[in-house]
Amino acid sequence: MLRAEPLLRIQLLVLASEAQDAALALARFGVFNPAPCRETALAESPAAAYREAWLEAEARLSKLQEECGDTGPLNLPADAEAPSLADLQELNHWLKEVWKDCLDCHGNEARIEDARSHLGTLEDTLAKLEGLNVNLAYLLRPDSLLSASIGSLPGAELKRVTEALSMTGYLVSRFDQAGEQVFAVIAGPRSRRNEVRGLLAQAGWRELPVPDELRTHPQAARAWLEAERMRLNMQTGAACQVRDGLREQFGPRLHEARLRLALARPLAEAAQAGILGRGGLAALSGWIPRRQLDELRETLDARLHGRYWLDPRELTAGDAAEVPSLVRYPGWLKPFVPLVKSYGVPRYGEFDPALPFAVTYLLLFGAMFGDIGHGAAILLLALAFARRLGQMVWIGVAAGAVSMLFGFFYGSVFGYEDIVSPRWLSPLHDPIRVLTIAVTFGVSFIVFTLLVNVRNKWAAGRGGEALFDSSGLAGLAFYLGAVGVLASLAGVADVAQTAWILAGLGIAGVAAFKWHETRAGLGERMLVTFIETLETAINLFSNTLSFMRVAAFSLNHVALALAVFTLAHGLGMVGHGVTLVLGNIVIIVLEGGIVAIQALRLMYYEGFSRFFSGDGREFVPLRIEKA
Amino acid sequence: MSAYLDTRVSLYAGRLWPDDALTALIEAPEGTVAERLIGHGLPQLATGYDRASGAQDPRSLEQRIIAQILDETRVLVRPQSGAARAFLTFWTARFEMSNVKTMLRSKMTNERPAAILARLIPMGTFGRLDNQDLAHAEDIGELLRRLEAGPYAGIVRRARRAFEQSRDPFSLDAALDRGYYEGLVQRAQPLEEAVGAPFRSLMANLIDRINLVWLLRYRFNYGLPPAEVYYLLVASHYNLSGARLRDLAAQDSLEAVLAALPAAWQARLAGATDVPDVFARMEHVAAEQALRVLRSRAPGIARAFAYLILRERDLRAVRAVLRGRHLGLPDDDIRLALRRAPAELN
Repeated sequence: MLRAEPLLRIQLLVLASEAQDAALALARFGVFNPAPCRETALAESPAAAYREAWLEAEARLSKLQEECGDTGPLNLPADAEAPSLADLQELNHWLKEVWKDCLDCHGNEARIEDARSHLGTLEDTLAKLEGLNVNLAYLLRPDSLLSASIGSLPGAELKRVTEALSMTGYLVSRFDQAGEQVFAVIAGPRSRRNEVRGLLAQAGWRELPVPDELRTHPQAARAWLEAERMRLNMQTGAACQVRDGLREQFGPRLHEARLRLALARPLAEAAQAGILGRGGLAALSGWIPRRQLDELRETLDARLHGRYWLDPRELTAGDAAEVPSLVRYPGWLKPFVPLVKSYGVPRYGEFDPALPFAVTYLLLFGAMFGDIGHGAAILLLALAFARRLGQMVWIGVAAGAVSMLFGFFYGSVFGYEDIVSPRWLSPLHDPIRVLTIAVTFGVSFIVFTLLVNVRNKWAAGRGGEALFDSSGLAGLAFYLGAVGVLASLAGVADVAQTAWILAGLGIAGVAAFKWHETRAGLGERMLVTFIETLETAINLFSNTLSFMRVAAFSLNHVALALAVFTLAHGLGMVGHGVTLVLGNIVIIVLEGGIVAIQALRLMYYEGFSRFFSGDGREFVPLRIEKA
Repeated sequence: MSAYLDTRVSLYAGRLWPDDALTALIEAPEGTVAERLIGHGLPQLATGYDRASGAQDPRSLEQRIIAQILDETRVLVRPQSGAARAFLTFWTARFEMSNVKTMLRSKMTNERPAAILARLIPMGTFGRLDNQDLAHAEDIGELLRRLEAGPYAGIVRRARRAFEQSRDPFSLDAALDRGYYEGLVQRAQPLEEAVGAPFRSLMANLIDRINLVWLLRYRFNYGLPPAEVYYLLVASHYNLSGARLRDLAAQDSLEAVLAALPAAWQARLAGATDVPDVFARMEHVAAEQALRVLRSRAPGIARAFAYLILRERDLRAVRAVLRGRHLGLPDDDIRLALRRAPAELN
């Protein structure tokens, strides 16, 4: 059975000036999960500045990478050293300068684009004002008692600005709109111009500069606008040499920067967990597999030549909540692991449910969707989309194969029940047997989950819960007893007396435990004990019945196929064929999807929730490349 | 879900701090503070007072208070859907607006990203901004451009335009605040139609108070002209309408503004001599109304919002007490601060 690897907590003391190399060595070692350092005597954070510089440089580099597109693989030499803090800061400074140049280019481009858009607007405005027959020279006279200006503001602000300006005797006259910008003339007493200046700035008012040329002859104005447009076009061409030539100009150095930042990543990442130090020393803490301690010493010797102090410590009870869980899964099981972890990560020392999950999930899927043809279609579809599905393709292949296997058992090919004779049973012709098998499977599964829970609780030092809780041995005794009583009543077995005693003892144990655990007044204690004990019985009963859906879906599969055949038989030859094809697609996509979700639901809620708290920590080793 | 929400709000209501509990907290011996805080559902604030556990929380008191509010809001948001969920979620966005302001101000002073990040309020599941990315913007221009590509684009665009014209940090803050509260009013409208008077009364008290306090502050503390003051207020349809606000903004003194208010307001604010006093009195009125809604059989969303208003007021008071105690202020000074608690948590 899969078990988390036994871990050790280590503390590595090195010279602070060599901390980056030590972290790099730990990253190359591959199985060091950093953890906060607990040494209270060490009050300094020697890697904080390093992490800060790295984060800044990394952010700048990733923005520059977006511009120059250097995203290929990195070839890190085995003997490459991590940059020192001074190197990193220098690199950060250089990246800052390059990025600032790049930003200036963006800013220039935006300004030119803005100016071009304004020029276009000005042209339209001119055309409109010509049509209005307004004498601009007169309207915009600086020595007039009337202060007028032409400009634009966001359309959403127009009403508010009009109301606010009315308080100072100003009027707003809208004459055009482009996108969300509204163009307007604002006019009012010049003596109160200062009062509206701040308001207009707040409202994002952008005055249109109306040059003298525009205030005279329309032909001269057009010539001026054309000249401006040409000037802007020329500016655009020359605007951004740095950005356009970024790859050629800085490409090799940016690639070098990428390399150096990758080498600096381990210390920066470890610093996030918490590296402490004092007087030129730095302490890195974390978890490693116990069996690789000697290998770690060799790695450190090779890199640091004895200039370190390694302190391995056994786990203590206080570590329980912090220890990450490192489980090495065989390759064939790996595709199923994300499905388990989407529920949660097993705690260190807890039973890892990946293997039973994979087996049971496939069994349930096959039992609910047993059909040689449909299974083959799923298998082929999974293979066809192998590249997109990644490692999940193997779940599709396995589900298709198991579906085909159950198809042989049920004698079903694309819903036809008469091509292959059933090797085991036909759900349509023997529904009661199918129901009985499904519930029996459910009972076995629940017993298994209860046993796992007992083991987990016991391993975690919670003996009381392991023995007497509703999901412990007492709950198991009650459940087995109750199943025995029901089996005796159904005439399947003759163990009624023993089963009654077992169930009674079990439920009494659960009730006594609930009573003991409840901290409340007498009345509330009685009520809580009664309700929780009752809930134990109801839960186990309903969870068992939940497995009837396995039988229901296997029948549903046949029923859906029958419905498709009935529809097809009422149609002509072409309609018959089209209906059969479409019907089978619907069955594969719709029912296949529902069955996949139902199987997952049974695993999560009838299985995992009983023994798996899912609040463990994943073992995340320090790495050089971004995860 | 409504029964669940009602029950949850009623349970939460038991955590509110009556005045005598606050007074008792001021006078409480050091060893009993943690117990009192935990008793009122504030375990996050108890850290540091709870010597038995020895736990330390690296977050500031401010951050812990907001974390507490966000935790409770999360529980109240969970059973909601549609407009109610959108409203309560946006109610928490004012903390994110505060983060936006912090980042903008920090960029103006060229603060380092690590220092900026340390000062931001952790928003947890309510966070919609990529703070890491934003804090690493090179300058305020890049920061504004990145913000404009995010969830608060509308609010930030307005602030950017104002800032570009004036280069005044005040323009940024004022535009962000106004944009946020107008967004809140917009999200409240469907609820006002669906829920009716209880919810509308809470919003009216909130927005009218904000408008009046801003009006007084902008007009008499900052000396802005009336038209600009009016423009900076939140456009709303509550008791202080646009026409009334224009009239108030045109007044020349705080007394004249108070005299131009509706009669019922004049009675509440009679004798007020400064802006904090006006704020405290209006907040008191708003708290009374919120308490009425909380104790009524109003729909769940109205009661939840009322609870959050009261809880935040309580937490400001608790913060004042804890800070006062920490600084070793006399009890009377702390009591005085309680009456003059600042308007915003940020």
